[in-house]
Amino acid sequence: MKSNNKTNRCSKTRALLHRALSRSIGLDADWVRNHIAACPKCQRRFAAIGKVNLALSMIKSQPQKLNLLMRANRQAIGVLKHSLRQAPKAEKLRDAQPEPKLMDRCSKYSHSAANVAACAAILFLMKVGVFSSMGRFQSQGKEVVQQYYAAQAGQDLADEIFNA
Amino acid sequence: MFGRTAGYSLMWDFAVAETVDGSQRWVLSAMQKHGQELVTMLWRILGNEQDVCDAYQSTFLQLAHYPDRRKPRHVKAYIFRTASNAAVSMLRRKTAERKRLSNAIAAAADKRTEAIRDRFRAGDGSPADEFDLRSLQETLRGCMAKLPEHLRNVIALRDLAELSYAQVGRILGITPATARVYRCKAVQLLAVWMSRESEDAK
Repeated sequence: MKSNNKTNRCSKTRALLHRALSRSIGLDADWVRNHIAACPKCQRRFAAIGKVNLALSMIKSQPQKLNLLMRANRQAIGVLKHSLRQAPKAEKLRDAQPEPKLMDRCSKYSHSAANVAACAAILFLMKVGVFSSMGRFQSQGKEVVQQYYAAQAGQDLADEIFNA
Repeated sequence: MFGRTAGYSLMWDFAVAETVDGSQRWVLSAMQKHGQELVTMLWRILGNEQDVCDAYQSTFLQLAHYPDRRKPRHVKAYIFRTASNAAVSMLRRKTAERKRLSNAIAAAADKRTEAIRDRFRAGDGSPADEFDLRSLQETLRGCMAKLPEHLRNVIALRDLAELSYAQVGRILGITPATARVYRCKAVQLLAVWMSRESEDAK
């Protein structure tokens, strides 16, 4: 338990430090931008790194054919030993199609889920608020009536009625 | 107490049985579990369908012929590293082959590249279109093949297989922080080499 707290504190501190550092010496910092605008050497470096990132993102965005997994599986299974080639799982793999990850599949529902969660939170808060207000209203009303009875009919009778 | 011991012994038996399973069904399980991610990574490294299939086949063949036909302790780490190495060997071979091409073919290719450039220039004339996008990818792939293994593995797993730094660290046996440092170094090296190559091309 103690070590968990320590780890949490460490990660929080690290995140804070990272945020502070990136604000002061990251690429978004004003002085870094001003420097890059004025320094040709840094401009070249910045452009070169940008080119690498561009090439990486272009490679990532290149779509693959839908049957590539099936083709690769078929070729790989073809060179495995006989018992593996005949296994029922191998049959399934031969016709395997790429499936989106669970996160990707759920991403289209994320907005709806967020809306539902927000509605649930609002309802919960409303319910808590309404019930607590009702409880307060009831107890205050009781006190007022008790005081009225005490003033009009006497404390003993009021105690008898309200504390029974 | 006895029940717990029996439970552990059952678990142990199961683990041992799976490790020394002669049928090697775990090869197919690994293919089912990691095949898709592996194909995506290989496609991004190689950019050619037949090469992807060859590298994939070679990876699972090596897995099936792991010493004593046993299951490696970390199957995911093993297959990702093997696939990355196989793909990079292919890239290197392709680069060497390209260099061996005759001058005539190279000149024809240059003409074609020039034509593509002209087409881009004739388009909207924006600075982004001035360089050939395809050759940029090929240059990056060529430079990646030249990277030292420890840096190349991080780039392949982090940027092309899109694994988290924690997963990359687990696969390569390093800490996530070290993986970050390696990625940073790899990008710096790639940037230097790619600018040098584009200057040479001019």
